[in-house]
Amino acid sequence: MSGVQRPQGLVLEGLERRVGSNLVLDGLNLSVAPGECLALLGPSGCGKTTTLRLIAGLDQPSAGRIRLDGDDITRQPPSRREVGMVFQSYALYPHLTVERNLSLGMELRGLPRERIAAQISSVLELLQLEPQRRRRPAELSGGQRQRVALARALVRQPRLFLLDEPMSNLDAQLREDLRAELRLLLCGGPQPVVYVTHDQQEAMGLADRIAVLHQGRLQQIGSPRELYDQPANLFVAGFIGRPRINVLPAEAGCIRAVRPEHLEPLAEGGLPARVLLREWQGASQLLQLETPHGRWRMVCDGRVELAESFGLGWPPARELRFEAGSGRRLH
Amino acid sequence: MTLLLTLPALLLLALVFAVPLLRYGWLSFHADSVITGLQPVPNGGANWLRLIEDERFWQDTVQTLRFAGLSVALELLVGLALALLLHHSWRGRTALRTITLLPWALPTAVMALGWRWIFNDPYGPINALVQALGLPALPFLSSPASTWLVVVLADVWKTTPFVALLLLAGLQSIPTDLYEAFALEGGTPAQALRRITLPLLLPYAFLAVLFRLAQALGVFDLVQILTGGGPAGSTETLALYSYLSAMRFLDFGYSATVMLGMFVLLLGLTAVLLLGRRWLAGGRA
Amino acid sequence: MRFRRLAVLLVLLWSLLPLLWQLYTSLRTGSALISPQPGLSGWTLDNYRQILSGDPPFWRFLLNSTVVGLASTALTLLLAIPCAYGLQRQPARTRALLSGALLAAAVFPYVLLFLALLELARRFGLANHLLALSLPYAGLTLPLAVLLLGAAFRDLPPELEESALLEGLNTWQRLRWVLLPLIAPASASTGLLVFLFSWNEYPIALTWISRQELLTLPIAIARIAGSSVYTVPYGAFAAATVLGSLPLLALMVIFQKPIVAGLTQGAVK
Repeated sequence: MSGVQRPQGLVLEGLERRVGSNLVLDGLNLSVAPGECLALLGPSGCGKTTTLRLIAGLDQPSAGRIRLDGDDITRQPPSRREVGMVFQSYALYPHLTVERNLSLGMELRGLPRERIAAQISSVLELLQLEPQRRRRPAELSGGQRQRVALARALVRQPRLFLLDEPMSNLDAQLREDLRAELRLLLCGGPQPVVYVTHDQQEAMGLADRIAVLHQGRLQQIGSPRELYDQPANLFVAGFIGRPRINVLPAEAGCIRAVRPEHLEPLAEGGLPARVLLREWQGASQLLQLETPHGRWRMVCDGRVELAESFGLGWPPARELRFEAGSGRRLH
Repeated sequence: MTLLLTLPALLLLALVFAVPLLRYGWLSFHADSVITGLQPVPNGGANWLRLIEDERFWQDTVQTLRFAGLSVALELLVGLALALLLHHSWRGRTALRTITLLPWALPTAVMALGWRWIFNDPYGPINALVQALGLPALPFLSSPASTWLVVVLADVWKTTPFVALLLLAGLQSIPTDLYEAFALEGGTPAQALRRITLPLLLPYAFLAVLFRLAQALGVFDLVQILTGGGPAGSTETLALYSYLSAMRFLDFGYSATVMLGMFVLLLGLTAVLLLGRRWLAGGRA
Repeated sequence: MRFRRLAVLLVLLWSLLPLLWQLYTSLRTGSALISPQPGLSGWTLDNYRQILSGDPPFWRFLLNSTVVGLASTALTLLLAIPCAYGLQRQPARTRALLSGALLAAAVFPYVLLFLALLELARRFGLANHLLALSLPYAGLTLPLAVLLLGAAFRDLPPELEESALLEGLNTWQRLRWVLLPLIAPASASTGLLVFLFSWNEYPIALTWISRQELLTLPIAIARIAGSSVYTVPYGAFAAATVLGSLPLLALMVIFQKPIVAGLTQGAVK
């Protein structure tokens, strides 16, 4: 074995982007291993799409470095980075057929005809798009368009997959179906996958790890389970988990919070609560409660009949504690 | 790098627009005529002094403004009516649009001659009609009082379709649910026209007026062919005057000065228009 | 709606009567135009025969105008497309500044420029060269063309080009294979407007071209009318008008949609 082993996968070091006096991305450090699927999660304007565009080379960072399999690609033009990207709008060429949408790049790079044809056929088959081969994007359904966009990213066999909210234009049912398909297709291959979304459910269902961004800063990075069980701060606790976590007022420099699914009615005592709204969701029910600490949310078994007013309690082990000023979680 | 792509076009634009204007600035301070043997000789501000005292220039200015003002006002009014008519959807709309656009598409120079024939004294169709009514033929094109109105008519005939089309674009940009909401609140169609259509059409009308006014101030083909500036110079415009100064009197220095005088007039009017628009916008806010 | 029908009828008469009068004139003998003729006499094709057998024959002017029109259209698009594309990629301030200047130039009454352009033509020996006319024509139509095409480029989603960029297409390839096909409708409208302008342009053609066989249509027709000092030969002139208008008529009927789109786009953007 020769000397230093080159770090594989994608590494971002102190990545920063300024637009005017506005710091859109503030010193982002993270790495994505080959075959790993990392979701960039956060509310709109948090810097997640910016990060993706910096990795693709569509925007330039004001500081920091991007490495791919050990190569510094920070200053490399986007056309040489060999990334496969799926845009939120899919960005399919409206004037070209599905087939030509996939082949245009390879044709213009001068790849041999037979190879292009073979690659396209295998990808179209994989995504079950063979019957749509000669159609134009306008003649396809939303789900088919999304698959064509995916196919176009796949067909060039890139070193890295980038996906920007690829499912936000689809209806809920389709989104659920495609989530599994996407995971099977992309993740676990030789390439790192970076997936941008604002939907925490999508991120948790799809990603090996999730990076939560807020106001251009990385809040926490970890497995979906870690983010849920051990959120690094109050923001992550509030952003991960639906319905949203319930927060108690600060007491002696400490903020306590409890997830709705950990609340339980007590026979006597506890936090007094009155039911404002009941949403029956089948297996479970969601209650909107009025408490001395404001509006709380509670999830419990769908079969339980609850009184109009009762006392609330929760196992102390389930309680999360945060430092009042910084919002950091206390251990 | 991408700035490079704009360069060839910008170069040609500079050559066609900027170079001439700079050249006029230079020429206007030179005598360049038959007297100087068609060689430019610096003459200080003599051209400009002459311009200020030139009655023909001022008369032409008044005539140009008179023509432009009336033409543009009529074009705006008729154009609005035409746009409203073309906006309604019915079976023959496409055909009607094509037909109304025809006058705009034909060369001004050609139709100018057509109008000369139509208003011919005594053989033109208009005078044939007049005579059929038992009246004597009217000298439309040999009386200063009527000639300029014939020029206005010819201009309105040709350019109203263009104004109508701009206004039509404006009409199409107004969402129909605005009218539906207004009707639900009990507004009548006439009120809708006054309260919704006209205010929202204002930016388009402004653009149409700006464009048409600039073009009407520079009217040339129409006058040169239809009247030649006559009778007795009563329809001569600034553009025609500068053309005659250069091509007939071979006085290039003065021709350039007249054109710059016209340019200044144009700038002034544009400034007034822009101020007017700001005032209107402010008044509504 | 009786009122609307009346309005439509009025519009039709207003737009068509002057044109129909030309058609009528072109088919009448000279004496029939001056004094009423009995019955079916007084109709003739002599006016057409006369101009088509002139020296040069009238179709020569049609050809000249077509050549100038096509050359101007090609040159304008060749310059305007890269310019419009490049303009969209400039920082917002540069773009606003250039767009403002372009709008001013598009509105500018170009007659003002004829003298200096004539001087340029003489200095560079461009007078009496038919194709050279397309230089000022392209220059004069560029502002509108760049504005129209710029709006078309701006309407395209930026991801389309970014996607092509990521696939390794260079600037030329992106323009050729992705962007140009998508702005084809706008290019067509723009091209038609340029063609119409050059077909109808008068003052520059009047001053640049003096050789009879090189005249463009409007100048040739104006010359027919000016050929006799005392009376305009209206019959011949009307025949020339009809022949010169037919190509435009065809153009308008076939391309009404893109021409209207071009004009109205110019207003909206």
